[in-house]
Amino acid sequence: MATERPLVLPGDVIPPSLIPTSANPNKKQQPLRLGPGLRHIPPSDIVPTVAGQLITVPHKNSMWVEYNSSRYTPTPSDLVIATISRSGPDFYYASLSPYTANATLPHLSFEGATKKTRPQLPPGSLVYARVTLANKHMDPEIECVSSATGKADGLGPLKDGMVFDISLGFARRLLMARSKEEGKVEVLELLGEEGLAFETAVGRNGKVWVSGASDAKGNEGVNAKTVVVVGRALQETDTKRLGVEQQRKLVKKLVREMR
Amino acid sequence: MTASTLPEAALGVLPRADGSAKYSHAGYTVTASVNGPIEAQRRDEHPYEAHVDVIVRPAAGVGGTRERHLESILQSSLTQIILVKNFPRSLIQVVLQVEDTPENDYVNTKLVQASLNFAIMPALFQTSVLALLSAGVPMRATAAATAVAVVPEDGAKKIVVDPSPRQIEIAQSVHVLAFTSQEELLLAESEGDFTVKEWDDVYETAQKICCRPASTKEGMEMVLDEEDAGGPDMRHFLRSTLESKVTADLHWK
Amino acid sequence: MPREAEPSLNEREFVLKALQENTRLDGRELDQYRPLELTFGDQYGVADVTLGKTRVLAKASAEVTVPYTDRPLDGIFNIATELSPMTSPAFEVNRPTETEVLISRLLEKTVRRSGALDTESLCLVAGQKCWSIRVDVHVLSHDGNLIDAACFAVVAALRHFRKPDTSMEGGVLTVYTPAEREPVPLSWLHSPFCITWSFFGEEGEIALLDATWLEEQVRVGSCTISLNKHGEICQIAKLGGTPVEAVALLQCTNVALSRAKDFSAFLDRKLAEDAKRRDKGGLLAELSAENDR
Repeated sequence: MATERPLVLPGDVIPPSLIPTSANPNKKQQPLRLGPGLRHIPPSDIVPTVAGQLITVPHKNSMWVEYNSSRYTPTPSDLVIATISRSGPDFYYASLSPYTANATLPHLSFEGATKKTRPQLPPGSLVYARVTLANKHMDPEIECVSSATGKADGLGPLKDGMVFDISLGFARRLLMARSKEEGKVEVLELLGEEGLAFETAVGRNGKVWVSGASDAKGNEGVNAKTVVVVGRALQETDTKRLGVEQQRKLVKKLVREMR
Repeated sequence: MTASTLPEAALGVLPRADGSAKYSHAGYTVTASVNGPIEAQRRDEHPYEAHVDVIVRPAAGVGGTRERHLESILQSSLTQIILVKNFPRSLIQVVLQVEDTPENDYVNTKLVQASLNFAIMPALFQTSVLALLSAGVPMRATAAATAVAVVPEDGAKKIVVDPSPRQIEIAQSVHVLAFTSQEELLLAESEGDFTVKEWDDVYETAQKICCRPASTKEGMEMVLDEEDAGGPDMRHFLRSTLESKVTADLHWK
Repeated sequence: MPREAEPSLNEREFVLKALQENTRLDGRELDQYRPLELTFGDQYGVADVTLGKTRVLAKASAEVTVPYTDRPLDGIFNIATELSPMTSPAFEVNRPTETEVLISRLLEKTVRRSGALDTESLCLVAGQKCWSIRVDVHVLSHDGNLIDAACFAVVAALRHFRKPDTSMEGGVLTVYTPAEREPVPLSWLHSPFCITWSFFGEEGEIALLDATWLEEQVRVGSCTISLNKHGEICQIAKLGGTPVEAVALLQCTNVALSRAKDFSAFLDRKLAEDAKRRDKGGLLAELSAENDR
C-alpha cells in the first residue's frame, strides 16, 4: 500500500521512483492508470494539475491526487440529490450544484413510468438520482431507475424532510459501505442509538436529505426537532472535523438540548 | 502601522465561494474568491475552453480604466496557467477585492477617485493563484510574481524589490514579473524609462525571488537569509501555505 | 449571469414547519444573533464584520473637494454599496440588483439622514473647500442579514476613521500629511444600528432576528428598525410583504433597542481595544493637535 503521500502542486515534477511500475512481473503488464488531478503529457511526463496528496497504489498500477474541491463535478454512477428547476417536453431539468448548467432527467426514467403514470414534479421538487452521463462537452444526465433492472432501488422523488449542505469529502465518507469502520463517521449510528427515528439520503454533490420517520404509533408527519438535530450533528461533524469520540459527545449534547 | 515584510496568506476565508484566499505582503492586502467552473453567459461562452473572468475592485471608489487594465493583464496570464480546455462552455470567475494599500505618509492622496497602482499587481496575481489552488481548479503550473523598481540613489541606480509607494514615486521604472513553477516567464509589464541592461538586471532579480530552487537536502533546516537573497522566497511560501491547507482539507478523505 | 438557486419546496416547507415548533436550523433562539465579530485594518477606517457566514468590509476615505453650491456650509458624505460577484456569481458588475438598491437606501437613511456624522464640521472654507467623506461597503460573503452587518460595518469604519488634520492661517488652508500631524477623528454625533426582523407564517405571526440566507428566501416579510442606544429611532422600513400586527411591531422595537445597546457596547469595547493597540507607549496623546469639544 501507499505509505508515502507527498504533497504535490500543479506543475511539480513527480520523482520517477514514485511512479508505480508493474509490481508483479509474473502477471501481464497492466497499463498505468491515472486518476483525477494528474495529466499525461506525451511522451512520458506525468504532471499534477491540482494541489493535494499524491497517492500511488502499486499493486493496481494506479496513481491519483487526493484533493478537496468544493464544486461538484458530475461523474457517472454517482448518487446525487437534484432539485427540479423546470420541466420540458421530454425531460426535467434538474440542478446539481448552484450556478452550473442543469442536468437532464428523462420523464420516463422513473420506476414503472409511462407517459400517463410518470410522476408530476413541480419546480423545486427534490429527487434522489444516479448520474448516467457526464461529459465535459455535454450537460449531465441523471436517472431515477436502474436501466438494467427497471427497479428504483431507493431512487426517486424525495418527499418532505430537509436538505443540508455538507462538504464533498464528507459526503463521500457517508456513502462508504462501511462508513463507521473505514470512514470514522459514526454520528448517524449514534443518533439512532439515542432513539431518534429518521431516514437519510446522501448525495455526492454535497447534500444530505434527512427526514423524520413516522413514529411507532403510525403518526404521520415529520418531527422537525429530530431532523434539525440530525442535520446539525452532520454539519458540525463535517465543519469541525470531529473524531469518533467527539462525535459521541456532540450527539449526547444535541439530544440533551432537544429533550 | 508598519507594513509586514514577509508575505502572509490564509486560504478558504470565504465560506460560500468555491475557493478563496487572503494575502498580504508589502502593505497590500487582497482577498480573492474563485467560483468555477460555472455556467457562462452566452456572450462569454467558448465551445472549446473555459472563459476566465477577472474582476478587480479597489478598496475605495469605483473601478476605472486602470482596474480594467489590470484585469486584462491578469486575465491573459491566468488563462495561460489554468487548463481551460478541461471545461468547455463554462466560466471561471476570479474576483479580487483590494482591502489595504500601503499609504504614502508624505502625500495626501486623492482617495475618492482612487485608482490602483501598478505595484499592486504581484499581490493581485499571487492572491488569484492561491484562490485558484484553494478552489481546486486544474492548472498547468503554479506561479509567483514580484514587483521590482529601479530607483536612483546617490547618482547610481539601485534595484528595489517590493518598492514602497515613496520609492515608486521617485523610481525611474517599475516592473512586474511573474514566473511559473517551471521557471518560464509568464508576465512582464514595465512602466517608465529603462535600458536593456537594467531590464536584464530586473529580470535576474525577479527570477531569483520567484524561482529559488527547492532545498537540496531533505530534512536539513533551510538557511534562508532574507537579506542575502534580497526578498522573500515566493516558491517556498506557496508550498508551505498549501501544505497546511491540503492536510486540513483531506481530513474527510 | 447564472441565476441564484432557489431553495427546494422541501426546504421551504421544512423551515416553516420547524419555526412553528420554535426551532431554527442552526439551533438558535428566534431572537438570537449569530456570533458577531469585528476587526479593524492596519489603516484607519477599515472595518471587517462577520456575522456567521456573512462578511462585510467597510472602508472610509476622505478628500478635499468643493461643496455643493446649494449647501455651501456642509461637507459631503456618501455611502457606496456595490455587490460584486464575490458575494454571489448571480450579481453582475455595474448592474445593480434590487437587494443592492435596498441596502444603499437603508444605509443612507440610517446613517446619513439621521445626522450621525456632523457634516457641518466637514466644511473648511465656506462655499469653496470641504471634506468629502466616502464609505465603500464591500460584501465579501452573503449568508443573510446583509443590512444589519453592513450598517454595523459602516458605523464602525466611520468611528475608527481619522481624516488628515488641517489649519487655517491668514486665509491659507493647510492640509497636513500623516507624517506631519497625526490625523483627527470625525465629529460623530450618535451611532445608529439596523436591526432586521423577518416574518414567517401566513399572517406573519412568527418573527425572528438575524435571518440566514435560506430563511430570507422563505420569509413573507421583513422590517428593518434603525435606532441608537438611547432608543431614538432613525427609521423603520417595512417594504411590502404580509401585513404584521401593530402590537407585534411594538414588541419588535423593544427587543431592537436592547440589541442596539448590545451592539453599541460591543463597538465601544472594540474601539477601545484598537486604540490601545495603536497607542504604544502613550505617544498618541502628545501627537494629537485636536481640541476636546
